Amino acid sequence: MTSVAERPKPFVLPEYCKGCGRCISSCTKACITMGTEINPVTGLVPIVLDLSRCNGCGLCFEACPEPYGLRPQGEEAAFELVDPSTVLGPRPYAAPQPEPWPDTSVPLPEREPLIVKGTYAAAVGAVLAGCRHVFGYPITPSTEGAELMAKVLPELSGVFVQAVSEVATVNMMYGAGGAGKRCMTFTSSPGFSLMLEGISYMIGAEIPAVFVNVMRGGPGLGNIGPEQADIKLVCRGLGHGNTHAIVLAPATPQEMLDIAMLSFELAFKYRNPVVIVGDGYLGQMTGKVRLPRQMTEPGIPEWAVFGDRSHRGNLMCSLDLSEVGLEQHNVRLNEKYAQMTAEEQRADLYRCDDAEILIVACNTPAQLAKGAIKELQDKGLKVGLFRPITLWPFPIEALLTVLDRVERLVIVEASSGQLEDELRLALSHAEVHAPPPMSHVRRMGGILPSQDEIVEHVLGLEEVR
Amino acid sequence: MTDLAVPVTTRKDWASDQEVRWCPGCGDYSILSAVQLLLPELGIRRENTVFVSGIGCAARFPYYMNTYGMHSIHGRAPAIATGLAVSRPDLDVWVVTGDGDSLSIGGNHLVHALRRNVNLTILMFNNQIYGLTKGQYSPTSEVGKITKSTPFGSLDAPFNPVSLALGAEATFVARTHDLDRKHMVETFRRAHDHRGASFVEVYQNCNVFNDGAFEAINGKENRADMLIPLEHGQPIRFGADGEHGVASDGHGGLRLVEVADVGEDALVIHDERQVNPSLAFALSRLATGPHEPTPIGVFRAVERPDYGSLVDQQLLEAQNRQGVGDLASLLRSGATWNYD
Ligand code: SF4
Ligand code: SF4
Ligand code: SF4
Repeated sequence: MTSVAERPKPFVLPEYCKGCGRCISSCTKACITMGTEINPVTGLVPIVLDLSRCNGCGLCFEACPEPYGLRPQGEEAAFELVDPSTVLGPRPYAAPQPEPWPDTSVPLPEREPLIVKGTYAAAVGAVLAGCRHVFGYPITPSTEGAELMAKVLPELSGVFVQAVSEVATVNMMYGAGGAGKRCMTFTSSPGFSLMLEGISYMIGAEIPAVFVNVMRGGPGLGNIGPEQADIKLVCRGLGHGNTHAIVLAPATPQEMLDIAMLSFELAFKYRNPVVIVGDGYLGQMTGKVRLPRQMTEPGIPEWAVFGDRSHRGNLMCSLDLSEVGLEQHNVRLNEKYAQMTAEEQRADLYRCDDAEILIVACNTPAQLAKGAIKELQDKGLKVGLFRPITLWPFPIEALLTVLDRVERLVIVEASSGQLEDELRLALSHAEVHAPPPMSHVRRMGGILPSQDEIVEHVLGLEEVR
Repeated sequence: MTDLAVPVTTRKDWASDQEVRWCPGCGDYSILSAVQLLLPELGIRRENTVFVSGIGCAARFPYYMNTYGMHSIHGRAPAIATGLAVSRPDLDVWVVTGDGDSLSIGGNHLVHALRRNVNLTILMFNNQIYGLTKGQYSPTSEVGKITKSTPFGSLDAPFNPVSLALGAEATFVARTHDLDRKHMVETFRRAHDHRGASFVEVYQNCNVFNDGAFEAINGKENRADMLIPLEHGQPIRFGADGEHGVASDGHGGLRLVEVADVGEDALVIHDERQVNPSLAFALSRLATGPHEPTPIGVFRAVERPDYGSLVDQQLLEAQNRQGVGDLASLLRSGATWNYD
């Protein structure tokens, strides 16, 4: 026989109470009040119970929208552990542990070099690296790479999807990358700005993909002339949170191809997006491009949401409600960034051996600087070029090897000093407190520094006069 | 202010000193001149008129107007215009956009400006292609369209912009085309005079990347049989002698008929003021694309308070309830503010 006294009173599981307060108004005996303490696991404020007047009516169980919020007393034992899997038992499947299907390398015959423009070279490199999924939204001056992909990919069982915006593009990449597929996009500065939200999520969820950003004049709509004013964005501003991605800055069509291939390797090695930054000039520059002697037939990584039995347990997400868990995740991401910094610095040192004046430049301005250096060397000056190929991580170690002899650093860039900021930051982190004096040649607004401007600047330096 | 009368202007007064830089032969020229012809007749001031655009060929429009203008972010013009119209209800705010700008990246902003009935006049130049980026397919390109980004043909079902606007609760929806200046002027006039969000789809020929997209319906010889003029309160009929018409299909939709076969009484009478948008929607579905007889004119023109008026009313009510707020006394009122 059931009597009133036997009806169970409630208890609250603080980890599952979201503090919505529904139960408070359901209780006619005013047993329930809003708590005052933040629960450390959830960050929310659960209710507190004072059951002195409770008659066990059970109305609060009904009111609670959370399956484990308020429960009848007597059930505590089943909820001792907070992890729902211990309440519900392990997820009932017996699939094998996912194993990676390894990539295979396919040899290519020797052949004549291609004569192609920079954007096409990047597209060819991506195809050879196993990229079969390209997403993008038309934007000058980067659309041509995607247009080439639209022609080429169907024959290779791949696909180009023209998204309805850059926001859609980056999320399509989240999907394809999450499936373990090699995907990329071509975009330009305003479009890249729109992708930042998605890039932050991809870094959080550890999803690889390759972004080609053909930088153009800004801010805002700006113009379609070449600029390098996204350097701070790609090095320091990839969306919210503790984010970084390897940033590569090619200078020739050949490098566009080589770096596109390398980028996929790095993206999958680190499970992280990789950004290639070019300038509009490089995108249009035509050059001889040698093809590699092998290409990649991509496999499927063990972490992918691939849709087969063995990958069934995989989940892609950047959400972690527990502060402790999210901090650990951040620590792990930062360990990856540290590994990238240690292992992935790349630079090109041109006539640096006896350089007293060292020009620092990347992308097309570096090519222009090379021309200037030839002119200056003919005049008997000891000028060299330090060309970072990775902008993040900045190749500080290579720079340190030549810095001793250098009397002057000249930073040549098509921005207001964003490359120089990266250089100064890297020097500072390397504890170089008295670097050589620096000066710069800068153009903005869709104009590159010219070879003449560089020559003139160097000839005007006090070390030279 | 001493002179309250709106100064008399001519077409020239509304044109800026900028060289118009669309491709020679582009349909945008005739839309521009239709707008510049209309504006002197509207009794409005140049200094109270703003043209807002996003990105694309159509988006150059504000440069060519001797009014205020904003050339803004791709797809965001309706949102920017909303901010402007709500903060300055006294202005005449026009949005000039294209099919890519408003239906792709800006689809979200467009439908919400329409739904909210913000007091805007939205002119959407539909050329069924991306012109500015040199010829990729757009959200209004037909299935199978070969473009640079769809070398094997587009797979996407296109939007019908009029259906879309009706579905987005637009209170004024019309369609016109760039080869009929008179029709454009009258349609734009109606759109401007409408209080709330008005949406006008303008079929516009991009003679460089999608030439002749509307030829089948608005070519000189085709017009009579392929354009269905909508006139409020009139039976819907078309053809050189009004020999074709539109009748109910008996299943909630409409069909094309020969007047001789069904008789005049069977023709549907156009009623743009119907609160229920079903008739307008059925009309928008008559043609699946600009290769079948296509209605032009005003599909729907109904009254609903516009967003700006509703905001004003809410402010007034709040102030009537608790008096005009005094920020200084609120700031001094203590460590916590009670505000209800
Ligand atoms: S069981 Fe009834 S009386 Fe007890 S706390 Fe819940 S609602 Fe209140
Ligand atoms: S109804 Fe549940 S979640 Fe809401 S306050 Fe009560 S116990 Fe917490
Ligand atoms: S590309 Fe097409 S839409 Fe753009 S200006 Fe030229 S003709 Fe007009």
